[in-house]
Amino acid sequence: MMLPSRSKKSVLIFLVPPLLFYGAGVLLPVVQSLVLSFFSWDGISDMKFVGFSNYVQMLSNDSVFWQAFGNSMIYLVICLTLQLGGALLVATLLLQITKGRDLIKTLYLLPAVISTVAIGFLFQRIYSVDPVGLLNRLLDVVGLSGLQQAWLSNPSTILAAVSFPEGWRFSGLYMLIIYAAFMAVPTELEEAAKLDGVNNWQMFSKIRFPYIRPVWITTTIMAVTYALRGFDIPYLLSNSRYGQLVTTYMYRTAFTNTNYGYASAMAVFIVIECLVAVGLIFVFMKRKVDE
Amino acid sequence: MKTLRTITVAAVSALALIVSGCGTGASVQDANNINPTGDIKAREISWLLSRPADGGVITAMNKIAKEYAKKHPGFSLNLITTPDRPSYIQKLETLAAAKKLPELFDIDATPFAQKLAASGNMINIEKLLKDMNLYDEYRTSALDYQRFDDGSLYMVPFESQVEVFFYNKALFKQAGVEVPATLDDFPKVCKALRAKGITPIALDGQDMWPLERYMAYYPFRASGGDYIKQLKRGKAKLSDEVGRQAVEWMASLGEAGCFQEGFSSTGYSDAQALFTTGKAAIYNDGSWDASALATDSLNSEVRDDVDYFHLPVIENSATAQNEYVAPSGIGMAVNSQSFDPLVRDFLEFALKRYPEVYGSSGQISPTTNVEPTIPDNATPLYKRLFEDADNVGQTTAMPWDTQLDSTSNTRLQQELPLLVQGDVSVDEFISTMDKVIAENGPKAFAED
Repeated sequence: MMLPSRSKKSVLIFLVPPLLFYGAGVLLPVVQSLVLSFFSWDGISDMKFVGFSNYVQMLSNDSVFWQAFGNSMIYLVICLTLQLGGALLVATLLLQITKGRDLIKTLYLLPAVISTVAIGFLFQRIYSVDPVGLLNRLLDVVGLSGLQQAWLSNPSTILAAVSFPEGWRFSGLYMLIIYAAFMAVPTELEEAAKLDGVNNWQMFSKIRFPYIRPVWITTTIMAVTYALRGFDIPYLLSNSRYGQLVTTYMYRTAFTNTNYGYASAMAVFIVIECLVAVGLIFVFMKRKVDE
Repeated sequence: MKTLRTITVAAVSALALIVSGCGTGASVQDANNINPTGDIKAREISWLLSRPADGGVITAMNKIAKEYAKKHPGFSLNLITTPDRPSYIQKLETLAAAKKLPELFDIDATPFAQKLAASGNMINIEKLLKDMNLYDEYRTSALDYQRFDDGSLYMVPFESQVEVFFYNKALFKQAGVEVPATLDDFPKVCKALRAKGITPIALDGQDMWPLERYMAYYPFRASGGDYIKQLKRGKAKLSDEVGRQAVEWMASLGEAGCFQEGFSSTGYSDAQALFTTGKAAIYNDGSWDASALATDSLNSEVRDDVDYFHLPVIENSATAQNEYVAPSGIGMAVNSQSFDPLVRDFLEFALKRYPEVYGSSGQISPTTNVEPTIPDNATPLYKRLFEDADNVGQTTAMPWDTQLDSTSNTRLQQELPLLVQGDVSVDEFISTMDKVIAENGPKAFAED
């Protein structure tokens, strides 16, 4: 339907300012990074045009970058498992109970409102081996003292140790979104299914989940893009390259090593990586719907 | 078509704007103009610094700034401190790139500082101190620590420190060991302490530089300051004899279990607590912590057992027993772009007053013109530390984090814990670091 001209004006008036803000706050820095990625610049000397050499270096000659990329992928899997898997599980369980539902929701959401730095300190203590932290103490109590270790020093546990707090932190938020979506499933649909004799799994997989699919797609996109941009907790918890993500490597390259051009190439890589991830999610989910 | 052309023109203009916005337009200022002309107009000046908020330097400078403000109403000194060094360096480098550095800022004699000085952003401190008739008052070691390799001086020292190995005599006795006479004795001492269930060395691995200090020790004893000067430029390698010895020594410390478990994620207070609670036998620290380790504020259970020793030598050592790390702390640079009669006048006033005010707070002044005040609650170690500061030898061991280019330094700090933990071999470590330094070192020192 065509909008009358007065409405078109109103739409423009309401849309243009946020679009301008978006352009200045998001698009401009992205374009600036793209431009800077073709230069070599230490922040003091003159910028030197180097063409694609930052990209060539990053993609073909930097083992630390590829290690960081591999770490980012594992970090993504851990975060998604904890955030989406955990959120879906808790939201489904919440539907089954009536007493204490609000209390559980609040407790589960609590980590999402605690500041990142506080979470960083908290987990530094939890993982500590000397003085003994909560995790190592718990392992001792349950008779698994052989598993006690320095979680943030051991190369084989650092990545999981820095990923877990991020996954834990936001699972409550996604749980709330999914729970709200579940609440919107029409009762008559569920009752009709019950009359048809569906079991709990069928109720979940054939009725509820297909109904909340649009919300699930949005939540997945949010969780994936947040995890791909994950930075603060891994940065606060570990300096090791075994716990280093593309984002933390980019940050150190720019602001510790003052190699702004090379860091910009990584920033462009992260933008492309996020766009590809969102594209893949859409394609995957659309195919599922078509099936 | 017209729309397309308009969009193309707009896009090209925007791109040009962005490129020009990113440009530095590095203009060379006059770093030697130490006597700016004009009237002294009181205003607020800022000092971006990386020192403890309640430490001696800030306390003294606040007092001095208040005195100056009485004579110059309207003047104030805004001290913006970020004690966490890595965060500070990031802040500083970002401000430098944006050309937003304040009137005064802290910086070590790093390659980055040298570039800033070379582009005319910092006032020549040697000239300034000489012009103020203050140059000869400073300890030679304090000034030398701030110099670049070419001998030029662009930072003012505010401290004079010595770094020693504090140790617990009772724990040494319990393990039946003596103070290590040479660096090669360290692994033996560590093993003996470990055998008695004692943590040999408490280390703040989280801050990274404390472990990097250990990396500097062997080369300093083997070749003085020459090796690191060559290494950072890619003219020497870790695969050379001196470098390999150092790497093997670091690996041997790890094999002997010298550091506490999980040292790479242990912070400053936890590491110090390991020593002050009598769990660890050795703690490598500086005289800046004398108030915690050499006064009656130290845990009474270990107080009488705490002593210290200097950096041990090696066989055929190139440096003497009284030559070790004796830093004058991070230096203060003066921004040449905002250097005006007020900044100059305040600095002259402050630097003349500073030794007396700072010395009276129980700290070692970077100058020789004041008698230090020993606090009433000090243990005998306190006085010995002060005396040592007067007797340090000519060559100072330079911390490697102030020497290497930042990319090589970051990588070294990441690889060292892995070497000590046994997660990378000596050969892997050497090959990785030689490659990183070869790629980045020569570029960083290209203007030499």
